[in-house]
Order: sequence, then C-alpha cells, then structure tokens
Amino acid sequence: MALPDHNRTITTILDTLSRDYLHGKEEVLRLSMVALLTGGHILIEDLPGLGKTTIALALAGITGLSFGRVQCTSDLLPSDITGLSVFNREEGHFAFLPGPIFNNIVLLDEINRAMPRTQSAMLEAMEERRVTVEGTTHHLPDPFMVFATQNPSDQSGTFPLPESQLDRFLICTGIGYPPEHLEKGIIAGGGIRERIGGMTPVASTADILAARRCVETDIYLSDKVVDYIYALVAATRSHGMIQTGLSTRAAISLALAARAAAFLEGRDYVAPDDVKGIAVPVCAHRLVMRPDQETVDRGELLRALIADIALPLA
Amino acid sequence: MVAISSLTAVLSYAIALCGIVPLFPWLAATPRMALAAGLLAGIWQERRGVWPLKNWQFNLAVLPVFLYYAFQFSRANPVQPVVSALAIMLAVRLCGEKSVRHHLQIAALSLFCLASSSLFDLSPIFLLYLTLMLLLVAVSLVLLTFHAQDSRMALSRPHLRKVLAVGVLMPLASLPLLLLFFPILPRTQIPLWNIMAAPAARPSGFSDKVEPGTSATVAESRTIAFRAEMPRQPQQQLYWRGTVFNRMEGHRWVRDATVPSEHLLYKGARIAQTVYPEPGPSRALFSLDAPAIIALPRARGASDGTFEYPVPLTRRLGYRTESITSGILPTAGGINRFFYLRLPTDIPERVKQLAGDIRRRGTDDARRLELLEQHFRNGNYRYSMRDLPTGEHALEQFLFVKKQGHCEFFASAFALLLRAAGVPARLVGGYLGGDYNDLGGYYLVSDDMAHVWVEAYLEGRGWLRVDPSSFASNAGAVWGDGKQRSPAMKLRLFLDSLDHTWNRTIVTYDFEQQVEIARSAGKRLQKFEMGKAARAALPYLLLSMVLAFALIVIVRRPWLFASRNERLLRRFYRLVERDCGVRVQPGSQGLFETAGQTGNARVREFAAIYAGAVYRDRKLTPQEVARLHRILEEGFVTRT
Repeated sequence: MALPDHNRTITTILDTLSRDYLHGKEEVLRLSMVALLTGGHILIEDLPGLGKTTIALALAGITGLSFGRVQCTSDLLPSDITGLSVFNREEGHFAFLPGPIFNNIVLLDEINRAMPRTQSAMLEAMEERRVTVEGTTHHLPDPFMVFATQNPSDQSGTFPLPESQLDRFLICTGIGYPPEHLEKGIIAGGGIRERIGGMTPVASTADILAARRCVETDIYLSDKVVDYIYALVAATRSHGMIQTGLSTRAAISLALAARAAAFLEGRDYVAPDDVKGIAVPVCAHRLVMRPDQETVDRGELLRALIADIALPLA
Repeated sequence: MVAISSLTAVLSYAIALCGIVPLFPWLAATPRMALAAGLLAGIWQERRGVWPLKNWQFNLAVLPVFLYYAFQFSRANPVQPVVSALAIMLAVRLCGEKSVRHHLQIAALSLFCLASSSLFDLSPIFLLYLTLMLLLVAVSLVLLTFHAQDSRMALSRPHLRKVLAVGVLMPLASLPLLLLFFPILPRTQIPLWNIMAAPAARPSGFSDKVEPGTSATVAESRTIAFRAEMPRQPQQQLYWRGTVFNRMEGHRWVRDATVPSEHLLYKGARIAQTVYPEPGPSRALFSLDAPAIIALPRARGASDGTFEYPVPLTRRLGYRTESITSGILPTAGGINRFFYLRLPTDIPERVKQLAGDIRRRGTDDARRLELLEQHFRNGNYRYSMRDLPTGEHALEQFLFVKKQGHCEFFASAFALLLRAAGVPARLVGGYLGGDYNDLGGYYLVSDDMAHVWVEAYLEGRGWLRVDPSSFASNAGAVWGDGKQRSPAMKLRLFLDSLDHTWNRTIVTYDFEQQVEIARSAGKRLQKFEMGKAARAALPYLLLSMVLAFALIVIVRRPWLFASRNERLLRRFYRLVERDCGVRVQPGSQGLFETAGQTGNARVREFAAIYAGAVYRDRKLTPQEVARLHRILEEGFVTRT
C-alpha cells in the first residue's frame, strides 16, 4: 500500500470518530493519532469529566485494538499493573496472569495519584515495552500506547511526575471544553459510552502498524526543516526564563511527531508548518523553568519563541 | 466611520492644489491643461473607485514628454521646461491609482511646484501656501502611516479627531524650534560649541610692530587669517598688503600714525577681490598689494596705500577691493624723503660701514638698491624659523654672524641698510601666498603666511616692492612652486569652502547680497559652457552614480538577487494580500498556515506545489514553475 492509502485509512478513523462519536475533540484526536503513529505516549492534563476516558476507549474501539485501564491510587502496586504469577493448583505450577498493561492502548487514569514506585515501574514499561516479572521477560503487544491522564487542579495526596518522566510522554495536552453548540448537542444526546462498546472497527491492527512504518520511512525530512527544529531547540536553551531547554530526545520526538503530522495532512514531506503546529504539545511539558518563573505558561512562552524564529521558505 | 484611504486622497488633492495654484499663472498652456485634467480625472476616478490605466503605463507615457522638455532646456530658457516637466509629472501622479508611495510623491512634487513658483514671483502669499502645505503634509503623513498598515482601515470620528489633532500639532510644536534653528542659530557670531572657551583674540601672525630678535624660534599656526574671492593669480604676485611700518625705534620697526602725505598713482589693470577676514583684534584691511580702493563704509585709507577699520574686526564682514599688482607704486610729485630716511642714532658701527660702502659705490638710488641686493644674494643668508639671533644686537648678528633669520630679519635689515645708504624705504606687513580653493573660487590665507617685505623709493619710478627674503640662498626651497597638494589638503580646502559658503550666505546674510548671488547665478548659467562643465562634472557624476548604485545593491541585495523561488514567493504573498485580504507575515508564517487562513483552494494548490519541491530539497520542475506562474497570473480572486 502506498502513502495515500495509509493516509486514507487513518483519516477515515479520525473522521468517523469526530463525526459520529467525539464532537469537538478533533485536536486531541489528532494528537492521539500522532502518538499512536509514532509509537509514543500521550499525557492529558485536564479536569475530570471532559472525556479523557471516552477518547481512549473510542480510539481503541475504532481501531480494533485491545484496551486496558488502570485507575491509579496511592496504594496501587506495580504488580497490579504488570500482572503476577499465580499458582495453578490443577496443573501444579505458577502461571503468569498478565496485568492491564498487556493491552494495545492502556489508560492510566490520574497517574499522579500513584506512588513513585508504581509510576516508575509503569514508565519503565512504557520505555522498554517489556515487563520482567519473577525473572521472566514478557514483551508488551505492538502497537502499544499509554494514554495517561492527570488532574492538575486537585493536588492533595498526589505525587507529581518528575521532569525526567514527563519527558517520556511524546505529547502532553489538555482537552478543554467543547464549543457551545457542540456541548449542547452532547448534553441533549447523553453519554456515548454504550455506543462506543458497540463500535465496529474501521481499521485493523495491521493497518495501524503499516501506517506507522510508512511514517517512519516514507516521510521526507528536509535539512531546512531540521535546521528549523534545531533553531527552535537552541532558542529554548538560551532563553532567560528557562532553566533547562529541550533535550536531544525532545528534538527527535519533535521531528518524529512532525512526520506524523505531515502524514496526517497527506504529505510525504515535512513542512515547517507541521513542526510549528505540533511543537507546543510535544515540547512545552519538557521545559524546566527557573524557580522564579514556575507560574509562567510554558505553552505561551514556547509560542512566543516560535514566533521569533523565521520559517525556511525558499 | 471614515475610511483612511479616502481621507488621504482628499489630503493629497489639497496638497497638490497648494502647489499648483501659485504656479498656475506662470505655466504654459500644455502643462496647465495637463494639471487641470489630471486633477479632475483623479477625483473622478477616486469617486468611481475604478482605475482603468495602470501607473506604469502612465510612467511610460510621460517619458517622451520628459525627453521633449529635456531638449527644450537651454541656457536662455532654463526654468520653464523644468517647471513644465514638474507640473506634468504631478498631473500624472494625480490621475493614477495611489499607493502610499504615490501619495508621498504627490506631496514632494507639490512642494517642488510651490518652490518653483518662487522663481517667478516671491510674494508674501507664498508663505501662506507654504504654511498650509506643511500643515496638510504633516496630517497626511500621520494618516499615511495608518494607510500603510492597512489600506482598508477606517477610523471612528473621535479617533479621527485625535489623529488630526496630532497631525496639526506636530508642525505647530516645531514652530519654536524652527524659529530657533532658522533665524537665530545660524546668525550668531558666537561659536556655539565652545562658547566658554573661545578667547576674543586669535594668535596672530600679523602684529603692529616688527621686532626681530625677541625669541629664538617662531611657531607657525595655520589659523585662518582671511579669505579672498577672486580669480586665480600667479603665485609670486600674492603679496597681501596690510600695513606699513615707517619708523625705526631702537631695534624695532613701528608705524608712525602721522603718515606724510603723498599721492600714489594706480595705473594698470585692476584685480577685483572680495575679502572676508576672520574676526580678530587687527584693524588692518588686507588686499592684494597694492589696493586702489577698499569699498567698506568707515574704512580709512592712508596715503601710504594702507587701509584701516576704525575698530578691531570682531564681526564677520566682507569687503570689495581693487588692486594693482605690478609691484611698483608711482607717485605724483615727490615724497617726504626726510621722513623715510630717518634712523635711530645707535646704529651699530658695522652696519654704518656697510651702508656707507654701498652709498659710495652706487651713483644713484637704483644702483644702491642693486648693490644691496647683490650683498644679500652673495652673502649666503638663509631663511629659517629656528636658531634665530636674539637680543639687542639681533640685526647685527643676523647681518654679519648668524646669517639666518625669517622675513622680519631680512626686511628690517634690508630697510635699515637702505635708509642708511640714503635710499628712502619702508616696511610693508601683510601676507605672502595663499591656497587657492577651486571649489569656492577664493584664496585661503592663514597666519603662517604672514610676511614682511620692503618698499624702496626710486626717484622717477615710485615705490618699488623688494622682498629681501627672496634673496635668501634657500628661498627657492621655502617658496618654491613645487608644493604638491596632498589629499588631506584638498579635503581641508573642500571643508573650508563649505565653511566659507555658510559664513557668507548665512552668517553675513543680507538681502541685497542674496539678490546679487541669485542674479550672478543667472548670469553664470547664461555663460555656462555646457561641454566644459559636463566634462568637468562627469567624473564626479560617474563616481556618485557608481556609489549610489553600489549602495542600492548592498542595501537591497536580497531583493535584487533573489532566487526564482524567492521571487515566486514574493509575488505569491503580494497576491494573497491583495486578493484575499490576508496580512501575511512571511518570516513567522508557514505556507500551509497562510493557505489555511485564506481558505482558498488555489492558494492551497500553490502552497502544495511550491512546498512539495522546496521541502523535498529538489528544484521546481519546469512544469511546476509554469503551473505556479499560471496560478499567479490568474490571481486568487474567487468569483462568486
């Protein structure tokens, strides 16, 4: 299959979702798809009740991928996620019971409520894509995507993710309230959880994997755009309000996400617009501000930085 | 709401009227008609909002007209063609579509028109038009800045009132400054920069007595003494007469104010000069040796050919003078020989012996002068500013021992010997030489050129100018003509001519002089030799053109040497702004972003084709270039 076909499959998924199920969530859906296409993970920071879980569920439902959910609490143990070995009395040996992490799409709800030990186990699994339990290594399924959420306003009894772990999420974004007319429609129509359960997939796991390969290999990244990405990264490193600028991993992630964005636009090359359009969700959460500038909105700061960098146009 | 564009248009027409009305009576029929037609056509098209003819078509059409007037231009008729061309250019601008640039051009052309009307007639109403125009231009400039930002901008009435108030206030606020800068500042005699430090007296190279032997060395200063406007003269004739020292007191020469009366005859060609002395404590009025007339009220002439001002020349002024440079001043009737032979009693014995020797050997005064000249020429005297004889017997030392000194030694000793030998003689103080400034047409004379020479009276011939310093064995080296003008000197002369022009036209401004300058400029224009002037000006013209071109290239390099892609992109942005009404910020906006903003399928197509090549690091194929050009030619106007 060539690029246009892959692109059609993926855009069908997005169109179906936003037309029939998730109104007013186009941007989050697009970012989730970018994460899925690049093998990255997404962290959604927003208030409860805005459809975080629904989005993850719908994405799993329409792609036919398996879905697992972990509700994080302070007494959640690593084994609650990874699974554990249970003695099978009838067969007389220990059998491994895989935890919810052994799914294609895993929703980690309120990840900042889990204690650091559990968080780090989860994040290690996210990075390594395998879990070692009692000496046996179990590979996680492919594709594998973590859909983590955290509630920024309710801070009591939470363990905020350290910067180094935030860096493992390809994308960090909010959802926001839907526009007025859409929200009225949602209120009138009621929840859609039930309908999501009866969703028919429009794509298969193989389609997703093929599209991901296509993003990796078929999207051309020009040196001009690389220069632009570098200029952006360098600008964050020399900015007065930022303590630690973007890492090389961040730059790699940005390039990868830009490829996926270009793919979603149906192009086989990355334009600076793609980088510009995806830079804030990919990079803002990785900036470490100076102690006295903690309250500054990192997204706004990054947008201002980007506005000052000239796009390569000729 | 009031649209800025219509307001600026109205203002432009008003500004144009301010320029046209005063000039109109003086114009020929064709430019008159052109102006009227242009103005009416402009207003009519403005009302309809349709501009069928493009500005470049107008520009092309006006080119032959321009050439026609260029050929009409002649010495006899220098003004009318220029003014006509100006008027037609203004007419063309008025009837074309107007961008910000064109509004500015209209303002500039109108100002020129108004200015040129003053060539025909200068009446007080000119000032009225000028004031009105400046007010309108100020308001128009303020509005044009808005117009440049967004041509479709409209202002509500309160906002508009504020903007207009600012526009009117600007010229009004500048009025006190204008008063300060124009009528007051340039007319002051006081140097504003060092008002505290400037002493009234300048170190003078020229003094009221000649007293050799007061110091062993003489420092030279290049302070300007005066400037003299005149045609170039042979360098050896540049003796500037200032004063005459006619009495020897002890070992110094002074001026006895009671000059014996004699009648000098000025025969021969007179050289006219205008001399501008630098303010200083001196009262002597300088002029080429010897001045027949100095035309300056209150200037007093003495019978020995010198002129004086009653008070020191502390103000800047200029005077006209006429001189005879033959070097000999005949007298009608005799002179007071006794007065010019008087000597102090204590003349050294050796001097007396030398003078007596000359008196015995020479049969008449002319012969004695010759003998004394021979004595100086053969005596191996050297001209020097250093290691000078000093003290009471400085002159004796100079004559017989050291044999080196500066002009005061030479002249004092020479005159002393002449008188002792029975030849009437006097010292003349002034300046020798001068740097001719070709640009300003004047001699620049500085204090280091101060000089003293001798006049000897020969019966039947008159006062003969003798410069004993020229008898020095090294005179050729000191006053040789081989002085090369270094670039620094040329630059100095150039700057000095600017200074001089400023002084004479602004500081010593007087209306009659201005009229005179204008008249002489007219005369000069009539005498203008086209070919010669063109040849002379050509190198400068070429140089400045090359410089201007280089400057343009440097400044607009990215614009001039844009790649094909950049040119395409520039055109694309222009069209997007024009057709889609979207303001594009090329540096901070991607192509697809722009395309998304316009929501125009054709813009999107352009972006896709262009970006497809650029961001895939390949060149646009000829087909793609053709397609892009076609898109651009068709424009992005959506027909609904």
